[in-house]
Amino acid sequence: MENERIELKCIFGLICIIFAGALCSPLIILLSKSFIGASGKLSLENYVSVLHNEEFILSLQHSFAISGLEALITVVLAFLLAYGLHYTRLPGWFKSVVQVLLILPMFLPTLTYGFAVIYSLGKQGLITQLLGQQLFSIYGFGGLLISYIIYTLPPAFILLYNAFKYVDKHFIVVSQIMGDPPLRTFYVTSVRPMIGTIAASFILSFFLSFTDFGIPASIGGQYTVVATELYMVMMGAIPDFQSGSAIAVIMLIPSVAAVWLLRFSERFNFRYNKITAFEIGRDRVRDGIFALLCVIVIMAILSVFAIMFIVPFIKSWPYQVVFTTETLQRILSDSSIKIVYINSVMVAAATAVIGTVLAYMAALVNARSHLPGICKLLMDVFAMVTNTVPGMVIGVAFLFTFTGTSLQNTFLLIILLNSIREFTTPYLMIQASLSKINLSWETTGALMGDSWAKTIFRVIIPNTMSTVFQMLSYIFVQALVTISAIVFITGARTMVMTTKITQAQYFEKYDEVFVLSLLIFLTNILVKIMFDYLANHNDIVLHIKVKRKFQGLSKKSPRSGKPARLQANVQVQEYTIKNM
Amino acid sequence: MLELKHIVKKYDDNVILDDISLSVEDGEIISILVPSGGGKTTLLNVILGITPISSGQIVYDGTDLSGVSMQKRGFNIVFQDYALFPNLTAYQNIVYGLRNTPGISTKAEVSELISLLDLQEHVSKRISQLSGGQKQRVALARTLVMKPKILLLDEPLSALDGVIKESIKERIRRIARQYHLTTIIVTHDPEEALTLSHRVLILNGGKIAQFDTPAHIVHAPKDIFIEKFILSQLKIKRDNIYHLFQEENTGNDAAAVH
Repeated sequence: MENERIELKCIFGLICIIFAGALCSPLIILLSKSFIGASGKLSLENYVSVLHNEEFILSLQHSFAISGLEALITVVLAFLLAYGLHYTRLPGWFKSVVQVLLILPMFLPTLTYGFAVIYSLGKQGLITQLLGQQLFSIYGFGGLLISYIIYTLPPAFILLYNAFKYVDKHFIVVSQIMGDPPLRTFYVTSVRPMIGTIAASFILSFFLSFTDFGIPASIGGQYTVVATELYMVMMGAIPDFQSGSAIAVIMLIPSVAAVWLLRFSERFNFRYNKITAFEIGRDRVRDGIFALLCVIVIMAILSVFAIMFIVPFIKSWPYQVVFTTETLQRILSDSSIKIVYINSVMVAAATAVIGTVLAYMAALVNARSHLPGICKLLMDVFAMVTNTVPGMVIGVAFLFTFTGTSLQNTFLLIILLNSIREFTTPYLMIQASLSKINLSWETTGALMGDSWAKTIFRVIIPNTMSTVFQMLSYIFVQALVTISAIVFITGARTMVMTTKITQAQYFEKYDEVFVLSLLIFLTNILVKIMFDYLANHNDIVLHIKVKRKFQGLSKKSPRSGKPARLQANVQVQEYTIKNM
Repeated sequence: MLELKHIVKKYDDNVILDDISLSVEDGEIISILVPSGGGKTTLLNVILGITPISSGQIVYDGTDLSGVSMQKRGFNIVFQDYALFPNLTAYQNIVYGLRNTPGISTKAEVSELISLLDLQEHVSKRISQLSGGQKQRVALARTLVMKPKILLLDEPLSALDGVIKESIKERIRRIARQYHLTTIIVTHDPEEALTLSHRVLILNGGKIAQFDTPAHIVHAPKDIFIEKFILSQLKIKRDNIYHLFQEENTGNDAAAVH
């Protein structure tokens, strides 16, 4: 099909140019910069000096220690929660509420987590005041640990919850008939089939906290980690780009290892041939214990974030705890806040559209073209590389590449960076959809007189619209909460909400931080609800069929309309190990 | 008249179609019986114009179409899975091609097709609301609206329930007759091939094993392959059905005696 080839070749070329310019060359520039010494010659001196820097080594040790511990706690919690939702007879509404509340933190920037913890558990914090005493010192290790757990629990939970769906619960009966004691049954039917996913969620949690910038920036205190160290070196009083480039490359190493380990862990996943509906036996004690666990975890998360909804409506926390809308009015009437809000939504919306188009085009090349296999493979490679590179690393690479160009300090650059960073998940979502739909449609369209592009617009896109809505919603939310990457490239003119939060923190305007967080949160929820509605009411057979199938699978799951929504999230998290 | 002249198709050294020649009269129904993995899709793609041939000629009414693109050839196909567009209704599927070539069928012709295929009640339905047989008729209508010079059918009966297969066969014959439409059916199923068409071409290992009327093939199979792998299956099937009817008869007789 000649006409298809020409159009797809152009698309392929365009994607290659974009990734060469916005991914490959920045990374190469970063890499080469790190190997060029002060004298301008090729040398390892940047690495040598960084590795002899005790401060950096200490932050590296801190990062490994806290990310490791945090991932361990998160995985245990997430496993128990996911197990509880699958293996108890708790009422359906309860399970739905738990699922929704657990993923709520994902709609907030990680910066907010830190401030929420400070305002809840700090000396003047809400919880501290309610309890009458501070539980522990929150600056540094304790606060970081709690914030990281809140941050990584939702994705780890979704990953495990989803994997449990594909574990055949009938094996419980088999194990019991064979005379296994209860603990052995638990191990054989629940832990063993999940080993691969447990490992994957550990690596994911580790990677997320290792590379996150927002949390340590807000609550790290004296406990330095690699992310804050990199920021200090790059953006501190005396910027040291040479050391910065070396640190960025060093940060890349655990990320590459994480991605490799994630792929490796897939090998341990069980494949059941068939999943049959299974009725869980009655056990009040078991159900009670898991209900209690769910309630405690949810309450813990909510109590930390409660402050976010309180501070904007209080005169002056914690000195004048009087209800007023003055604070909110004062902050919202600040024109700079308005501008920043509009900027942020604009950047997120533009990123959503451009990112979706980019991912869609790449997936067309991969899943619906007759181009040589190497072209298709290249799309997968782009997806893998963007998924591997931490936000801060690509941010530093962008700083090196685009400083001095006309793109410096433009929203276009931020949008470009965000679109590239959020490429993997939407790409994998649409690639899955495009490979499932009928492969003869383009041929049929051509026989009916369509050009290739016409069939794409008349048939292919309308039949993948649900996925497109999910892609738009996913990228929008990610773009609105991201901080790690863009912190290096936003300027005074191109301020977005997350960078404004960092600034507000610098000037200790904490009420502003919470108002901005609240705005981000509400905008994200609104966008998510809107696109979920569009995706679910998009009267597309394929999607309905998939949904029905899914509902058939989880007959015991009471969420009639919602599995599809959760599934989308699950899909998202399964493939992405991106920091926000 | 469609003529395939010494068609060869190979991928590197792997020969899929080896010197295939045949001619099809206007209005004739031809079946091409290909064993599983015997190049069914390749053959369809070659005739349709999706895949270029390695050597040989495809000639239609004296014009060499070998180098002509799929869109310009004017042939059309109903795929095995129909490839209907689920975002459109049955009617929107049927008239899909009219947007690109408005005059190709008149309104009257479209409604005649719809009634010929018994689709009046289903035109406003979504594709998901149609049964397998209805879907196939919609796909057939969508293709016929384009007034193809040659109609290709890819295993037209395979996705249908057993009971409606016979009525669909009759319908395909009627359409071919009424529109004087040259029809080529490509299939793995000997029963489908031998009961539906005027002549049957049997491929074996990419070569023509026999090209003849169904009666001749059944009574004078050309080689042991046809005898063993095609006719023996049909004979078992025939015997089973005979046996079934005989048993039923004796059963009824026995009941009558009591």
